[in-house]
Amino acid sequence: MIRNVLPSWKYRLAGCLLLLAGVSTVNAQGSMTAAAAKVNDKMVKLFGIGGLKGLASYGSGILVSENGHILTVNNHILVNTTGLKVHLYDGRQYQAKVLFREPELDIALLKIDEEVNALPHFEFDKEAARPMAENGDWILAFSNQFQIALRDEPMSVQRGVIMAVADLRGRRGVFDAPYNGDVYFLDVIACNPGAAGGVVTNRKGELLGILGRELKSTSTDTWVNYAVPIQAAVDVQRDDKTAKVSMAMFVKDAMKGTYKQSTKIVRKDLGGYHGIVLVVNAVSSTPPYVEEVATGSPAEKTGLRPDDLILYVEGYSVPTIKIFRETLKQYGPGEEIRVQLQRGSKLESVKLKLGNQPKVPVPN
Amino acid sequence: MYRYCFLTILSLSVMISSARAQEDLNDLLEKMTKDSARKTGASVVQIETRGGADMVVAGPKGQVFRKALGPTTGVIVSADGYVITSAFNFLNNPPTILVRVAGQQGEPLVATRVATDKSRMLTLIKVDAKGLPVAPVVPKKELAEGQWAIALGRALDFKMDKAPAISVGVISALGRIWGKAIQTDAKISPINYGGPIIDIQGRIQGILIPASPKGDDDTAGLEWYDSGIGFAIPMEDIMAILPRLKEGKDLQRGLLGVNMKSQDIYSVAPEIGAILKASAAEKAGLKVGDLLIEIEGKPVVNMAQVQHILGVKYEGDKISVKYKRGAEVKEIKSLELSAKTIIVAQPFLGILPMRDDPKLGVEIRHVFDKSPAEKAGLKAGDRIMKFGSDDKLTEFTGAKRGRSQFLDWLNTLYPGAEIKLAVKRKGADKLETLTLTLADLPGSMPGAPATVLDKLPLEASFKKALAQLEINDPNIKNPKIVEQAPPEPETGLIEKTTADGQHKYWLWVYPEYDPNIAHSMIVWLHPPDKNSKEELDGWADLWDEYCRKNHIILVMPVEKQGNWLPRDADGVVAAARETVKTYSIDNQRVVAHGMGVGGQMALHLAFNHRDLFKGACAVGATTTGQIKDNVATQRLSFYLAAGSLDPLAKYVSESRVLLADRRYAAFYREMPERGKDYLTAKDIAEAVRWLDTLDQQ
Repeated sequence: MIRNVLPSWKYRLAGCLLLLAGVSTVNAQGSMTAAAAKVNDKMVKLFGIGGLKGLASYGSGILVSENGHILTVNNHILVNTTGLKVHLYDGRQYQAKVLFREPELDIALLKIDEEVNALPHFEFDKEAARPMAENGDWILAFSNQFQIALRDEPMSVQRGVIMAVADLRGRRGVFDAPYNGDVYFLDVIACNPGAAGGVVTNRKGELLGILGRELKSTSTDTWVNYAVPIQAAVDVQRDDKTAKVSMAMFVKDAMKGTYKQSTKIVRKDLGGYHGIVLVVNAVSSTPPYVEEVATGSPAEKTGLRPDDLILYVEGYSVPTIKIFRETLKQYGPGEEIRVQLQRGSKLESVKLKLGNQPKVPVPN
Repeated sequence: MYRYCFLTILSLSVMISSARAQEDLNDLLEKMTKDSARKTGASVVQIETRGGADMVVAGPKGQVFRKALGPTTGVIVSADGYVITSAFNFLNNPPTILVRVAGQQGEPLVATRVATDKSRMLTLIKVDAKGLPVAPVVPKKELAEGQWAIALGRALDFKMDKAPAISVGVISALGRIWGKAIQTDAKISPINYGGPIIDIQGRIQGILIPASPKGDDDTAGLEWYDSGIGFAIPMEDIMAILPRLKEGKDLQRGLLGVNMKSQDIYSVAPEIGAILKASAAEKAGLKVGDLLIEIEGKPVVNMAQVQHILGVKYEGDKISVKYKRGAEVKEIKSLELSAKTIIVAQPFLGILPMRDDPKLGVEIRHVFDKSPAEKAGLKAGDRIMKFGSDDKLTEFTGAKRGRSQFLDWLNTLYPGAEIKLAVKRKGADKLETLTLTLADLPGSMPGAPATVLDKLPLEASFKKALAQLEINDPNIKNPKIVEQAPPEPETGLIEKTTADGQHKYWLWVYPEYDPNIAHSMIVWLHPPDKNSKEELDGWADLWDEYCRKNHIILVMPVEKQGNWLPRDADGVVAAARETVKTYSIDNQRVVAHGMGVGGQMALHLAFNHRDLFKGACAVGATTTGQIKDNVATQRLSFYLAAGSLDPLAKYVSESRVLLADRRYAAFYREMPERGKDYLTAKDIAEAVRWLDTLDQQ
């Protein structure tokens, strides 16, 4: 039978292995069971009095020190922190307080408000030192989604794979998330109410990422299942300077009490002038067709013409006028950007050197 | 021999040192999944589109949803640049298609559409490239429930040197959707339709599709849409039809063209209840009452089994049929299936009737040029007193208005039918009998665009909408007055809420409103967010002149979510019905009207609420995917318009042809030198004349 189905030696080997994997699933799950138990002990269930109407008043988190430091997502349940409760794996219940928040990473560090010690926990530094996982890696997701667990009941565990490691930022105008760097997209429906702050591990129980808050893609109207990698790092604003902060740095400094709070970066319109007048934005998906180019403008100098369809700016897809405008806001006068466009049935690529906004406003 | 030893050794080793070996197995399985995905990923491309309609309609209930802007996925099927993907990706008719191929430094290529398989909802596109990698295919006979099925997609990332997005599942079932599809539990969403499912060796099992967007095809199964159950068309089947698709010809599902006697497809024997005109069944000589007993050599005891066999067939495919006629068993060795051929066409006499006429018969308001009525010598002022298809003519009863009774009868006929009319000439008393041949409704032929009258005939109404109808039938005691209105309904700009308290709307009823005249009604679907009193009043101002002159009432439902969606239809319809009850409204001249998204909504309303709407006036909107079959008893007319500079103009113009293909009367106005703009004063005047002639017969 095997001979008929499997054409080569290499595949035959695969077939045997699969067959065995299939018949001995109970054993195969052994290692995952152990990993699940190990991870579960390091997780906490969070119960707040809630922040916003219609949103779950519970969440998930992980212990990152033996003294009860907890890492979770900086979401609505932390808006009002009086009465914030933590349930440990063994059923113990404590009050907790918020020590620090980092909005750019969308995380917060809490501390159990009592003297505790010898708690099982993740060595965050060590976990974050590992390389990132990749597409297709098997994962386990742990969280208290839908508030199924109370006290000593274990978290809900789900199995899946990492669908893709991809950039939320590359899909500008599509997501409205506080953090917008690389994330793990998951092929398991893990981001449910209460799941934010839960974790994704590999099947050995090693930490990979923190489950994000519920997020809907506005262009597909589909919910996204994702986790923020524990290696994530972002630029933050401190005393008018930009600094790099990684999740591990935040955890380390916040536990020491020395974390320097950042102020939220306001992304402003840098105002580079291009001189492209687009067609009327009649429906939400109107593509950026060039209606005309202003005389003497950078667009005219680089040879843009009416009826050109702008496709990409610096490699980023700009399918609609809205996304084109949002994208262009990030480039200032003097910057040269690569614009790819369709002219007739041909693709062209031009360099557009942005100028200063002209004194007389030109319709944009 | 060697391989069996190997197997045994491996088994033993697993059993002996299980924990270690399980880890090894998991590692290996994980690695193989990733290796296969990466290897086959070279043949998986990213597809992006630009432009096209904003909203598309799919599903058995015609749900409208926003077409995703994000990229989708496709699979290379030949080295010279052919890519197969889900037809869903092009439902909105995008003018520009871009493809990123692995190994081309991620630079996009322009693609063109080659052909669509409308039965399996796949589209073949072509890019100008050579030497592209083609992945091996799993033979259908090797597919089995429970096998690994790894779904690949390119929607999440444009870095084409990376592995594609991966979702791991199994084959849940084979032969789904009347034998056409594989079912999988891998995670499928609108952004990865068009991608492959592959086996653990990296061979392609099939191409992922949404169960079946409702196009020409009424296949069952779309109720699974978005339910977490995924479908894929077997790759072997796709490779088999590839040569036909490459020729650029769309493939249609092959149909027998019969209706079964019973609607029950499971527990009743497949006895033919009706043979559709010009169908494959008619050509093959099948007759009503024949009982199907065998198709393609397979016995059939119910309609479901027939559909399982026919579901996979295309137009032009030949099948063998064994059937029972009476006690006799007969056989057709080669029956050639045809595509859907049954199109309802509406007949046209060529007159406009006078309105609000309580007397028996139909008085002619206007005779159209070159119409059957003109050829027969009918003139304005003549009165039709009797009608029929043979020498036995029918009289008007007075049970309903003459114009309505006449139209009901006309709708049972086809273009080309010969009719006889007994006519009382203007000023004469004697009846004259004329013989005429009915024509096609103007504008309902793809090659003959409609025209709108340059000038409306002055008189339209006897202004007796509230008067008692004249009766000709002793059996009718209390004839109903069709249009009825309270003595003094409110006029002006009126703020209203539907009876259920859920939906706000505004009415514009010009101050000189006369309930004895039946009015046209326009339901305006405002552009997203243009829903304030001032904005709606401003729009009504554009129409006010015509409201007074041509007796039009405007209904302006308010939508607050920033977009028109099908769920809004209930509120719109409720508002329209309340207005019909309160004012004298001519039910033959009620239309939905909108621009852009509002225009799409107007088309949606017209197709889905035909008992209320008799037409749609849509500006800068296309009919993409939502054209439903014409129904003889429920006429629909369309006035489509677009600015010549609107990139959509071409597709709006095409929509006119698509509508005419289904024999809907459709008119297209291109507004020169305008983009995505509203109608000019001139176009509004034309739309008014279109609206005023919707009661043409």
